[in-house]
Amino acid sequence: MNIIRQDMSVAEVLKTLRGADGYFITNTARDLSQSDFKNRILFHTDMLAAKPREKAGYFSLEITGGASVHVDILRKQVDPFLKLELLREKMPNTLFQTLCRGVNLFGYRPYPQNVIRMTVREFAKYVDVWRVFDFMNHIPNMQAVFEEVQAAGRILEPSICFSTGPEHTDEYYVKKVGEILDVTGDEIILCIKNHGGLGTPKRIGELVAAIKEKYPDLVIHYHGHNTDSNDIGRITSAVLNGATIVDAGDHSFTGYYGPPPILTVIHTLRDHGIEPVGVDEKAVIETADVLRPERDHYDYFESQFKGFAPTVQIHKLPGGAMGSSFEQAVKGDFLDKISTILHDELPKVQIELGNFWSVTPGSQILWTTAVSHILEGERYANPSGDLKNVLLGRYGEFPFNRPADWIYEKVFGSDWKKILEEEGGVEDIEDIDVEKERADLTKRLGHAPTEQQLVTYFQHPNDAVEFFKFEEKFGQTYVLPPSIFLRRGGYKVGETLEFTDCNGKEHVIEIGPTQTNEKGETSVYMTVDHHQRVYLFEPEIPEGAVAGASQLSKEEVAEFAIVGDMRAPFAGNVCDIVVEEGQEVAVGDRLVILEAMKMQTPVNSEVVGKVGKIFVELGKAVNLGDKLLKIKVVE
Amino acid sequence: MKTKILVANRGEIALRIIRAVQELGHSAVAIFETPDNNAMHVRVADEAICLGDGPRSDYLNIDKVIKAAKKSGATAIHPGYGFLAENYHFAFACEEAGITFIGPPSGVIKRLGDKVVARKIMSDAGIPMVPGTENLLAGDEGEAQAIAFGNEYGYPIMLKATGGGGGRGIREIGNEGQLREEISIARAEALSAFNDDNIYIEKVVINAKHVEVQIIADKDGNVVHLGTRDCSIQRRKQKLVEIAPSMIKAQGVLDKICETAVTVAKASEYRNAGTVEFLVDKDLNFFFMEVNTRVQVEHTVTEMITGIDIVRTQIKLALGRNLSFTQEDVKLRGHAIEMRINAEDPQNNFMPEGGKTVSFYRSPGGYGVRLDGFVYQGYTIPQVYDSLLVKLTVQGYSWNETVDRLRRCLKNFVIAGPKTTIPFYLRLIDEPDFQSGEFDTSFMETHSHLMEYTEDKSEVSKLARLIAEIHYRQMNLYAV
Repeated sequence: MNIIRQDMSVAEVLKTLRGADGYFITNTARDLSQSDFKNRILFHTDMLAAKPREKAGYFSLEITGGASVHVDILRKQVDPFLKLELLREKMPNTLFQTLCRGVNLFGYRPYPQNVIRMTVREFAKYVDVWRVFDFMNHIPNMQAVFEEVQAAGRILEPSICFSTGPEHTDEYYVKKVGEILDVTGDEIILCIKNHGGLGTPKRIGELVAAIKEKYPDLVIHYHGHNTDSNDIGRITSAVLNGATIVDAGDHSFTGYYGPPPILTVIHTLRDHGIEPVGVDEKAVIETADVLRPERDHYDYFESQFKGFAPTVQIHKLPGGAMGSSFEQAVKGDFLDKISTILHDELPKVQIELGNFWSVTPGSQILWTTAVSHILEGERYANPSGDLKNVLLGRYGEFPFNRPADWIYEKVFGSDWKKILEEEGGVEDIEDIDVEKERADLTKRLGHAPTEQQLVTYFQHPNDAVEFFKFEEKFGQTYVLPPSIFLRRGGYKVGETLEFTDCNGKEHVIEIGPTQTNEKGETSVYMTVDHHQRVYLFEPEIPEGAVAGASQLSKEEVAEFAIVGDMRAPFAGNVCDIVVEEGQEVAVGDRLVILEAMKMQTPVNSEVVGKVGKIFVELGKAVNLGDKLLKIKVVE
Repeated sequence: MKTKILVANRGEIALRIIRAVQELGHSAVAIFETPDNNAMHVRVADEAICLGDGPRSDYLNIDKVIKAAKKSGATAIHPGYGFLAENYHFAFACEEAGITFIGPPSGVIKRLGDKVVARKIMSDAGIPMVPGTENLLAGDEGEAQAIAFGNEYGYPIMLKATGGGGGRGIREIGNEGQLREEISIARAEALSAFNDDNIYIEKVVINAKHVEVQIIADKDGNVVHLGTRDCSIQRRKQKLVEIAPSMIKAQGVLDKICETAVTVAKASEYRNAGTVEFLVDKDLNFFFMEVNTRVQVEHTVTEMITGIDIVRTQIKLALGRNLSFTQEDVKLRGHAIEMRINAEDPQNNFMPEGGKTVSFYRSPGGYGVRLDGFVYQGYTIPQVYDSLLVKLTVQGYSWNETVDRLRRCLKNFVIAGPKTTIPFYLRLIDEPDFQSGEFDTSFMETHSHLMEYTEDKSEVSKLARLIAEIHYRQMNLYAV
């Protein structure tokens, strides 16, 4: 039973929240996936859980945003819009929530204003609740998103990023809330974004109380992470002090760095006499039961390190960055230095760089800087471009203080003052030319993109094109369960894979034997819906090896032809050479006649020019891409 | 008496002949060029002789073939189709060498093979003909002749190699400019393909059906026809689909065509098996085109509806027997369709896929299905020969049943490695004009949308492709 329904107006939702006796829960499935499964929980799994999650009566399901838009197209091969559309069919009443990085949208660097607005408009068709933040808590960075969300009639949830330390006082945050309200007006939900799960329950309780004291009607949504295993305490304290909504996750998938289990929140607060509004606990359990068998398939993406990480209070890495940081340490072979990086260098860098919030993209900048300091043995010697941008104030003003002069000098050299003066400050990013981009994408795809494809392309151009091409080749693969999509080590011979395609048609594939011939070509035999199929895989050419003398593609041959470099468009025999060296030719003039399998096909000139060197001889065999002759193009 | 018969051909027809030879209890000698080292006909024959490295030149080398026959002790040669099959010099060389040529006498081949002479014979016999010329004179005079014909009868016209056949050596010309441009290339092609640079012109009969009649004649001049075939579905004059009998509903017209074919055979003193080709226009007027003095690729459809083994009959007749059946014995049963499964990429202008290896091969079976192929799993298709992999012939009681069977069989094929014409055929047979039997020689031009087929782009085939890749790579590279 949903107390808050998708078809309510913003005012109705806020009224319900303000008037309710109890608190609400957001199921942060996306953040759980990002924090504990490197963002790899597939749409297929979310679809399995859709019905019980709908029944569970959450305030919202946080299912998109953060890094997920990128990972959807990069690793999960699902359209970030389509997934919301399909999920909506199964979950008509539940609000969908996103996490938006303000000017950085769902990426890592500031986007042009018109891209921000187009993106928000397109996503706002599906997303009801917009949690927006900026890692500098720099409000102008969020303004465009604020405006578009409100214009679209969606629920705006501006965030104050939370951290700990002497500067992070109630006074500072209450003032920040006031600045936000000045921009947005009162009809919002305020998020306390505790992405690291920092501070104690007492600290969070005090902060909530301080904000509520100043803004008693403000609906507060507490977002935390369970990295130190104490988020239940913080959530409890937040609710006891006036927070209305809290974040938690499905217990069969909870890990170490994401949200704590929903049921534990409910049980704990119940003891305080506070009940979740509208939540069906049986449906919460049912969801966990539906999800439990799926977890094994994600084993590879879980953290390399087991156990909670209470030292987060020292290094402050956000839950969403924990898994990937450990993964990087394993892959980069610096696992032995991880404690030094996390517990000595990172806190030091954080303070030196002005104590901004360790959340995307700030968390990546801090982490990368600390790692390079330790691995290279010299501090600030090899600054990343993003670090330079931070120092130059490109991402916004420093919240408390600018880093010390020596850092600027180390990063920018003795001229640093001049550089800062000339290049410093928030950069105005020029709007992109939408129609030009649309034309570019049309060219790359070979057909006109949809509005959503265009927006996806604006986020991550190359990855988007790769994804669209993947879809054309492999279809809608979101229908594949993780047991198929994420399988490692191949399937078993005789194994039967069953799935339902995007049109609702059921299929069965049986895996047959695999053979490799002496040329290294591998044939994979499968029975697809009881029809035998074979899939051929060419051997991989080792990098650095010289590829076959002239293995050009037909497209490349055509491209050479328009600059007068005539190549054989197919393998055959030269049965006539019609031109001589030095002869003038026009477009369409016959140059050479090739014969393959009894068919004579002329090769005609694509250019106006003079025949240069002729490489072929009458009667000789040529391969696709072999040089026939050169034409000196006459301009 | 056991006879040793040399099969002067390669590919599926060599295999077809070897089978007939062996069924008759004779022994078969194959010949081959080195690119055909691994060809099936070499393995299936009782003996095989390598002629040289070719390519093609040795199969076309009369001396070498005759020597191979002598060396092996073969006393008869079956030429198949293509190569030397309609080369009267070859038939003559056999006659001179005392070797039985399984086909008509060299004189018949010469007369009928010279399309211009053939036209003369037929017109003398009162056979209706398409307007045409004699051999064009060489050089500019020939060009002038051609242009004059074009002016008189109008375009389109056809430039045809006098020595050509089987749809080869024909160029359709739409206007005078094109005529001027292509006349020399047509000559060059004729010379290289048929060793004869003579060409002539015929008026194009627009929207004609290509109907042909299988005839068989014995040494006593008894001529029997085995009914009609329709080979209207062609691409660049190359037949793609052949059916028997013709779908023309006016039985009287078909009877008349068959009778005319018998008259043609008699007028030309034909012997052994041959095919008389006609064009039938929209008003069911029919015109003689030519006689193919050999077994046709599409003879299988006739065999399927008559039950008569044409190749076996050819051999028996050549070895001195007379026809064991009369016209009254020939009964047509239902319909048959043959499709040539070629290693070609229809969407790339039917570009041959030679050089590729057939890494997997499964063929259909069951009732009413016949396969004449020589491809096998592991076979690398030589680049230097034609691209025919296997002929699929199906027979059924009704036309619809036959089409249904054809579709099922095409779907049952699994050929991995080269692209094939199968997906195109699957698209073709779902075309209403094909299903209704309403097609003529303009079919491919008027149905160009058939080329827009998608090679099984069903959702499941795409997903299966990914699953195959995950299996092969041991992980999903698109997910890590």
